[in-house]
Amino acid sequence: MKNTTETEHGTRRDFLKGLSAASLAALMAQAPKSFADEKPIEHPKPTADACILLWMAGGMAAPDTFDPKRYLPFEVGTEVKRILSTYPAINTSVDHIKICQGLESIAKVMDRATLIRSAVQPDLGHILHSRHQYHWHTGYVPPQTVAAPHMGAWMAKVLGARNPVMPPFISIGQRLEGVGESEELKAFTTAGFFGNEFGPMVLPYPDQAAQSVRPPKGMEGARFESRNALFRKLIDKNPQRDFISDYQQESMLRSMENAYRLLSSKERAAFDISLEPKESYDKYNTSRFGQGCLLARRLVESGARFVEVTTEYVPFLNYDTHANGHTTMDRMHKEIDHPVAQLIHDLETRGLLNRTLVVIASEFSRDMLVEGVPGSSAKDQATDGKVDIIKEMKHYGLHRHFTGGTSVVMFGGGMKKGFLYGETAVERPLLAIKNPVSVADLHATIYTAMGISPKTAFDIEKRPFYATQDGKGVAVKDVFA
Amino acid sequence: MMRNAVVFAWVLSVGAMLEMNAGEPIDFSHQIVPILRAHCAECHTGEKKKGGFSMNTRESFIAGGEDGKAVELGNSAKSKLIASVISTDPDAQMPPKGPRLSAEKIALLKAWIDAQLPWDSGFAFKRPAYEPPLKPRRPELPLIVDGRENPVDRILDAYLAKNKLSRTAPIGDAEFMRRVSLDLTGLLPEPGALEKFVADASPQKRASLVEKLLADDTAYAEHWMTFWNDLLRNDYAGTGFITGGRKQISKWLYNALLNNMPFDQFARELVAPPTPESAGFGEGIRWRGTVSAGQTVEIQFSQSVSQSFLGINMKCASCHDSFIDRWKLDEAYGLAAVFSTTPLEISRCDKPIGKNAKAAWLFPELGQIDASKPQPERLKQLAALLTHPENGRFTRTIVNRFWHRLMGRGIVHPVDAMQAEPWNADLLDFLAIDFSDKKYDLKHTLRLICTSQAYQSKVETLTKASDEHGYVYAGPRARRMTAEQFVDAVWNICDSAPAKIDAPITRGKADSEAVKNVELRGKWLWSYPEGSDNVPKPGETITLRKTVDLKEVPTRAGVVVSVDNSFVLYINGTKVLEGSDWFNPPSASIEKYLKKGVNTFLLVAKNGGEQPNPAAAFLEGRAKFADGKEVQFATDETWEWTKTAPDGKGHFKKEPADWKHASVVKSTAAWAETAHPLLTSNLATAVYAKAGMARAALMKCNALMSALGRPNRDQIVSVRPSDLSTLEAIDLANAQTLSDMLAKGAKKFEAESAEKIAQSLYLQALSRKPAASELAIAREALGEKPSAQSIQDFMWAVFMLPEFQLVR
Repeated sequence: MKNTTETEHGTRRDFLKGLSAASLAALMAQAPKSFADEKPIEHPKPTADACILLWMAGGMAAPDTFDPKRYLPFEVGTEVKRILSTYPAINTSVDHIKICQGLESIAKVMDRATLIRSAVQPDLGHILHSRHQYHWHTGYVPPQTVAAPHMGAWMAKVLGARNPVMPPFISIGQRLEGVGESEELKAFTTAGFFGNEFGPMVLPYPDQAAQSVRPPKGMEGARFESRNALFRKLIDKNPQRDFISDYQQESMLRSMENAYRLLSSKERAAFDISLEPKESYDKYNTSRFGQGCLLARRLVESGARFVEVTTEYVPFLNYDTHANGHTTMDRMHKEIDHPVAQLIHDLETRGLLNRTLVVIASEFSRDMLVEGVPGSSAKDQATDGKVDIIKEMKHYGLHRHFTGGTSVVMFGGGMKKGFLYGETAVERPLLAIKNPVSVADLHATIYTAMGISPKTAFDIEKRPFYATQDGKGVAVKDVFA
Repeated sequence: MMRNAVVFAWVLSVGAMLEMNAGEPIDFSHQIVPILRAHCAECHTGEKKKGGFSMNTRESFIAGGEDGKAVELGNSAKSKLIASVISTDPDAQMPPKGPRLSAEKIALLKAWIDAQLPWDSGFAFKRPAYEPPLKPRRPELPLIVDGRENPVDRILDAYLAKNKLSRTAPIGDAEFMRRVSLDLTGLLPEPGALEKFVADASPQKRASLVEKLLADDTAYAEHWMTFWNDLLRNDYAGTGFITGGRKQISKWLYNALLNNMPFDQFARELVAPPTPESAGFGEGIRWRGTVSAGQTVEIQFSQSVSQSFLGINMKCASCHDSFIDRWKLDEAYGLAAVFSTTPLEISRCDKPIGKNAKAAWLFPELGQIDASKPQPERLKQLAALLTHPENGRFTRTIVNRFWHRLMGRGIVHPVDAMQAEPWNADLLDFLAIDFSDKKYDLKHTLRLICTSQAYQSKVETLTKASDEHGYVYAGPRARRMTAEQFVDAVWNICDSAPAKIDAPITRGKADSEAVKNVELRGKWLWSYPEGSDNVPKPGETITLRKTVDLKEVPTRAGVVVSVDNSFVLYINGTKVLEGSDWFNPPSASIEKYLKKGVNTFLLVAKNGGEQPNPAAAFLEGRAKFADGKEVQFATDETWEWTKTAPDGKGHFKKEPADWKHASVVKSTAAWAETAHPLLTSNLATAVYAKAGMARAALMKCNALMSALGRPNRDQIVSVRPSDLSTLEAIDLANAQTLSDMLAKGAKKFEAESAEKIAQSLYLQALSRKPAASELAIAREALGEKPSAQSIQDFMWAVFMLPEFQLVR
């Protein structure tokens, strides 16, 4: 076995001091592998540097949000089949775009938005939120034979961190423990085969996010620092140090050092929403989702790459309205309306909106009658809302899962402003009848804005695995400014 | 060989014929090869075979690809290859990208096809990839050098000598004990045992230690649960369990490891489950909704069996003929069809091709499955073929996994690509044949490796470029502790393990003394005495009842049950145990179901078979009390029976009015002989088995373990990540769970001096004493009177050392 020379010895001893931010950035931004049968991947020129995904978990009904249809108010005795929307349409800051009542603040910023009304999802038989969510977040319909990476992991892997101390992929608002289907949620809230380095930093409670980057409870600044100093000393004085495989040790120590750097950085303050001025905080403080929007803004300001904020998926809660849909929607409107509009305003005021892509999306839409799409084998899952005639309030709402026409809103990041793309039918079934956009194409659009080729692939088990399914996603050119 | 010779002869004669007839013959090497290299080679030669089409050899060229033949010999006009190089349709043209072929080149290709594809004898674009031998091979062991007798060393010493490499340096006793304890039982050595071991002068002490560790059945089983749960994708929570679309094999697996079940039997029971306990592996995950053709349970079966037992990645071939190895769509489906209970239509890339799969297995040279047999029979055939004595792939795959676990890198690497060439075929083949010689004893192979000088060597120093020019053996490689090893170590040192485990198992094994002391007194019962005219009918079901009066709640109690053919046991209205394999009677610890006063046992016993046949039920239990007394209860004439069956919670809607005394079945020799040894030992386990601290491998995954690399077991995982990621490091820096453990641990060291704390912690965590320089740091950090905080921080710093987190 080769002996360690004195020179190498010296270099290693100085290793900790030599760690630089640049080395992390370089480590994270490894060049994607190009395949023999393809030209080297040419990434498009990015129109956005950061991405915030506002995830309307549980299936946000387009006819009750961004795609108003014929409205019938609640009235006992109304035939269910006559109802398309349970909210009337309101005007927005764009002449030809109307959205639903309850979203008045968002209506005022629609002149900064591209609204896609024709997103479509595949029919996966029996409707399951977690499967569609997995599909939307990874681009692949589960199950897969390898663990597919989340969209945020793709950005972390291909683009790396914007600011070396900031985790490139942050997920806000979704609890992964103690909620129904938590295992199913974990299955896509992951970097999959990319490995944990590219995985999400998970912050279920925005008001506790500061704790995730704070030294452990009860460990004030000086103690944290001295604990780390102690660790470094023990490393440097470790008699075994030079006998262990150095490369392995060094990569371990590099991660420890990165962690320490974030936990003692000034960027750490971005995670602490209690530092936000009260006036601004109050505008966001509608719910955990609202707080999440505030946290996302602060993180992007500090250099985060990809942040997802969710209204949170919990079976039968929030947008997952199997009964009592209208009443629930009232609450959801209140949760999202102010924070989303405020987020857009704040990003704009700070000069960040042009280079930050904000996307509002959901795993599918909802309908009063149709489960899945017409002809689907999906079975009706409405609970108390299963009636032909409205008898009481709990019957009033969009209680079926609809995959044939879903709304997606995009702000900033190189998208057109005040632009409407795609269209759904006027009468049921409310299918996308113009410019349908698949999940793959929607992802291609987002990746293209971020400067990632939809054909980007990495090798796993000797097979190429693409950013969009089989590399076939095509960006919707029309929505780019 | 024969076949190749014939083909070559034929090619030569075609060539000769062409030269005579066609005037200007095509010069394959100079005219055709450059065209193919320039325009086609990227996707269709070497390991690449886009669309299933490889141009490597004339044979593969003629065979064509997924879309059929690329060339019609002698007829360029009808050859798809020509049509696609001419085509300008972007979806159909070849090559799909890059410059189009010139008219001149196309003309040459046409002429070549028209001339029957002349090909230079023996030419291939790339030599066919290495094809591993299937049969076992018994390598001749090199001579023993310097008294290094272990066959592993004999082979490796010869390898090192041949490659002019120096021997790897040996490690010290303490280092060895830490390494081997972590490897075999997943636990760090206790300081006392460590000191004793180091001081021991016996030359056999290392071998004895290996023996002792392997003999600790409980610790061994509880450590290796991690490896096998990963490989068989079993867990205590996860996707699929929510809807019952997935079954655990935890109990079966635990017992298999505890009793060191021979691996051939182990594999057979997973592939052709004798009881539902081991069925979860083959049944896979039944996802809700429509899944792609490549993820049906049948295809999962094909993929899981291939990967876990044969190191074959069948994922590519379950969608289309693999581009990376020899496996074809038909073969992936053939294996799936073995499992399928309905006709299984083959889909290519998720589209049905209108052809049903025929049950078949992958290496017909060892025998084939009779597709006409029913599924259980086919599975048995598959299990037999998989574990066929001549199936060297089966044994090579598992010994290679073990080598990887213990030595840090596979002899074939990666371990799931067993088609690749080993860096030392003799080593692999020896381990494999030795494993089958020793009746598939997993512990034997572990013992063999751990007692070698190779294993007992210093770890290799790695650089980033270590394997860039191919692997060269230079000793074992350090491995990152598994999440479970890390957590166990911290729990152990900090006394912070949870009180209860999540795995649905009875831990541990009764010692032989306890088994010897169990004397069964139960009798085999049925509702009536057997006789020539009243033999129990198939499906005949009775409910047996007994009340047991207890003066207090027992500290420990257990029960074992055997019913020919199946049963469900309810105690006080809770389903406690069920079984359908009378000669393999299950047992359970039942103290949590018992109460002070009257306890009701309901045993629903059901006869099986297709003709009337003997039936009988046996139950025996023990309850131990705080004062050391013991109560026994067992099936006998005092039990009563009724025809009425209780509901799923062990309650009767209406109390039956027909309770009668049960009868003892007379000729019970067959049952007694077969079942009694297991009844005895299983009952002893349920009542007397001891197990130490809860082990992380028996817990559901938590955030800390997940941060340390424990995988989500939706997919088979055979290798865990070797690097610590930044996010994981953040968790280690501030996770509350870890802080809580440290807080508990610090209490243990309160009132100790800095020196003592450092000594004790270093011994426990690193299996060595701290150096003077380290003691100085400890004194500085901990001060005169170490505070709880400073102890916690010191412990944290030690746990974060790579020296701690690596098995080295």
